[in-house]
Amino acid sequence: MTYPLTQAQSAIAQSAFDFADGYLEPIVISLDHGMLFPKALVAQLGANNFLGLVLPGQSPVAGAGFIGHIELVQALSQSCAGVASIVNSHALFAYALAHWGSEAQKTKYLPALAKGEKLGAVAITENGSGPGLGSDALFATREGSGYRLDGVKPFVRNAGAADVYLVFATIPNVDDGNGLTGFIVESGASGLTVGPRLETMGLRACPVAHLTFSKLFVAETNVMGTANCGSVIANQLLSVGSVAEAAQTVGIARAAVKHAAEYAKHRVQFRHPVARLQAIQTLLAEIATDSHLAWLGVQHAARLIEEEAPFEPEAAMLKNFLARFGSKMLIDAVQIEGGMGVSEVVPKHVSGSFPLARMFRDIAGTTLLDAPADFPDALIAANIA
Amino acid sequence: MTVLSPTQIEIQKAAREFVAQNIIPRAAEFDKSGDFHSYLLEAARPSNIFAMAVPKEYGGLGYSPLTQALVLEEWGYGCAAMGTTLSASILSLESVMIAGNDDQKRRFFKPMLSAGIGAFALTEPAAGSDAGAGEATAVKSGDDYILNGPKCWITNGGEAAVLVVFAATDPAQGGRGLSAFIVERGQQGLIMGDREEKLGLRSSNTVFFLLKDARVPAANLLGKEGDGMKIAMMTLDLARPSIGALAVGLAQRCLDECVKHLHQRFPEKSYPGQTLQFKLADMQIQIEGAREAQHHTMALREAGLPFSKESAIAKTLCTDVAMSVASQAMRLMGSHAFTSEFGKFMRDAKVMQIYEGTNQIQRLVIARSVLARPKTAVPAAMKAGAK
Repeated sequence: MTYPLTQAQSAIAQSAFDFADGYLEPIVISLDHGMLFPKALVAQLGANNFLGLVLPGQSPVAGAGFIGHIELVQALSQSCAGVASIVNSHALFAYALAHWGSEAQKTKYLPALAKGEKLGAVAITENGSGPGLGSDALFATREGSGYRLDGVKPFVRNAGAADVYLVFATIPNVDDGNGLTGFIVESGASGLTVGPRLETMGLRACPVAHLTFSKLFVAETNVMGTANCGSVIANQLLSVGSVAEAAQTVGIARAAVKHAAEYAKHRVQFRHPVARLQAIQTLLAEIATDSHLAWLGVQHAARLIEEEAPFEPEAAMLKNFLARFGSKMLIDAVQIEGGMGVSEVVPKHVSGSFPLARMFRDIAGTTLLDAPADFPDALIAANIA
Repeated sequence: MTVLSPTQIEIQKAAREFVAQNIIPRAAEFDKSGDFHSYLLEAARPSNIFAMAVPKEYGGLGYSPLTQALVLEEWGYGCAAMGTTLSASILSLESVMIAGNDDQKRRFFKPMLSAGIGAFALTEPAAGSDAGAGEATAVKSGDDYILNGPKCWITNGGEAAVLVVFAATDPAQGGRGLSAFIVERGQQGLIMGDREEKLGLRSSNTVFFLLKDARVPAANLLGKEGDGMKIAMMTLDLARPSIGALAVGLAQRCLDECVKHLHQRFPEKSYPGQTLQFKLADMQIQIEGAREAQHHTMALREAGLPFSKESAIAKTLCTDVAMSVASQAMRLMGSHAFTSEFGKFMRDAKVMQIYEGTNQIQRLVIARSVLARPKTAVPAAMKAGAK
C-alpha cells in the first residue's frame, strides 16, 4: 500500500526513476570510487524540474510540492544516494527561503535555485554539544549595518559546490532566546574558507567540508527571517531534513532488497536457489517490512509538511525508527549476498553488478544522529497525547 | 571476566604494546590502499607471534586457546584485517594439527616459525555455505595427486607459504568424497588470481585461485582420502571462537573511540544525559557478554569438553555484537565518524559476519543443538519392571 499521488506527483516519481536509470546508473560507480561531484548533473536536475519542487510558484510541475520531493529523493536514492544528498541539501535551502525568506531574498535566489543555476546548502550543526557552545562555534557580532561572522561550521554538505549557504550563527549576549540567527552567505564572500573535501564513507558524490568564517561581513538584508529566531528555523529544517533523509534511506533499502531477492533466486546452494531457504526469506521479509513501514511514515510526514500541519514528532519518529532499522536493512541485505555482498569491485570470475557494499556505506550516512544527544527521543516522548 | 593467570596478563600486555606500536598507527593507510600489510610479518618476527599456536615441541610458542584469544582480541582492537591474517593462518594450522602426521606438521609449521603464514582453502564459487558442493578434484596418479578446480575468497591465499586445500578424491560421494592436501607456495599448476577489493578487512589478502593439473605428492594428503569434510568441520569448530576474539576487540575499540569523541564534545559540565548513557551501557553489556561467551568456549576446549555449539555461539554473538556496536557508535558520533577512519570499523565488522561460516550457518548448528530431543535415561528400576 502507498499513499495516492496526484498526477503531478506521479509524473515526478516516474521521471525521477527514468532519470536515475538513464543518468545515474551509468556513472554511480565512478562517482562513488572517485568521490566526484557531478557538476553537469545539477543543471540536468534543474532542467528536469527536480530542484524547485519545494518552492511554491516556481515549479512548472504545479502542486508536486514536498510530496513530489520525497518521491524524487526516494527514486534517485535507488540508484545513487549521494546525488540525492546533493538534492536534499539544496532543497533544504530552498525550503527555508520559501518559508522565511524576505521578498527581496526570494526574488534574488528562487528562480536560479529552481533552475539549478545556483546550488544551495545549509549549515546548522556545530562541533560543540549545541549551537554556540563549542570552542570553535560560529558567532555573529554586530558591525555597522550588518554582522561579522567568526567561527566554524563543520561537515557541511555541498560545501565548495554550493553557490549560496544558509548558515546559523549565535549572536552573543542576547537576553531573549539563544541568539541563534540564520544568514545567507554567498560562496564568494570574503572571509569564507571552504576546507579540504573530507573523505566520506558513503554518499561520496556529495562533497562535505568544514566552512571557516573569518571577519566575514553579512548585510542585515541577508538575515533569514528575523535575528535571534534562528533556532525555530533551524529546528524545523532539521525536522524537514529528517523526512527527506528518511526518503533516501528507504530508496537505498528498497534497491538493496530487490537486488538481494534477485540474487537469492539465482544463487544455488544445497541444490536449490537460496531464496527457498526460510532463513533467507526471513531476512528479505524483515527488510521489506522495515522499508515499507518507513516509507509510510515518510509519506505521512510529507503530507503533514505539505499541509503546513505540525510534523516534528512524526519526523523525529522517522529518525528514531531508522536509527534502529536503517543500517540493519543493509547489514542483512549484504549478508544474503555473502562474499558478493562485500565486493567493492566485481571479482574477475563473476559477472553482474554488485552495489550492496556501496549501499551499506551510503545508508550509514543517511542514518547518523547529528543532533543533540536527547534527539529524537525527548521530542517524541513530550508529544505523546 | 575470566580470571587470567599472571603469564596471560603479561602476554596480553605485550600484545597490547605491539598493537599500539605496530598496528594502530598503520591500519588506516592499509585499509585505504587495500594492499597486504606485509611489513607486519617482519614486525612480528622478534616475538614469533605468528607461531603462537604452533606447539612447543615444533618450536612454536604453544599458547593455549584462551591465551591465543587474548592476543587476537588485542589485534582485533588494533585492526581486524591484520588480526584476520593471524587468525586465518592459525585456521590452516588447525587442520594439520587435527590430521597431519609428524612430518607434515614439521613441514607446515616451519614457515610459521619465521613469520610466514598459512591459508585454508575450502570455498569455491559453487560451494560457499554448501561446502560439499565443490568441483575441485584430486586424482591419484602414481605417488601424486593431480588437483584441478577453482577456489575463491581464500584469506591469506596470495601471501601464504603453505596452504591446506580441499578437493574431491571421490566426487560422486559429495562431501564425503572430500580430501585435504598440503600445498606449498610455488606449486606448479597453482594459478593465483588478483586480490579482491572488499568492503572491509581490506588489507587482509583475499584471492581467487585456480588449480590446473597441479601435481601434489601423496605424502601431502592429510589423514585419509575422504577425511576432508570431517577435517574442515573440526578445523572450523576450533577456529571460529578466534574470529569471536577479533570481533570483541573490534567492538571494544568502537566503544572506546565513541567515548573519546563524546568526552571531547561534552565538557564535564554538560555530562551526556540518560538517552546517551544507556546506549553506551548497552554497548558495553553486549561486548562483555560476547567476551565471556568466547572465553567460555576456549575454557571448554582446554578442558577437553565438547564445544561445537559454544563455538558457533561465540562466532555469531561476537561478530553480531561488533556489527551492532560499530553501527551504533557510527550513529552517535555522526558526521565525525562518517568522515573519519571510523568507517573502517563498521565495514570490517560486516565482513566478519560472513567469513569462516556465515552467521546463518552458525545458527543452523546452534538450532540443531537446541532442538535435539533430550535423551531421557530410563531409570534402572523401571527397566527391571519393579513395582
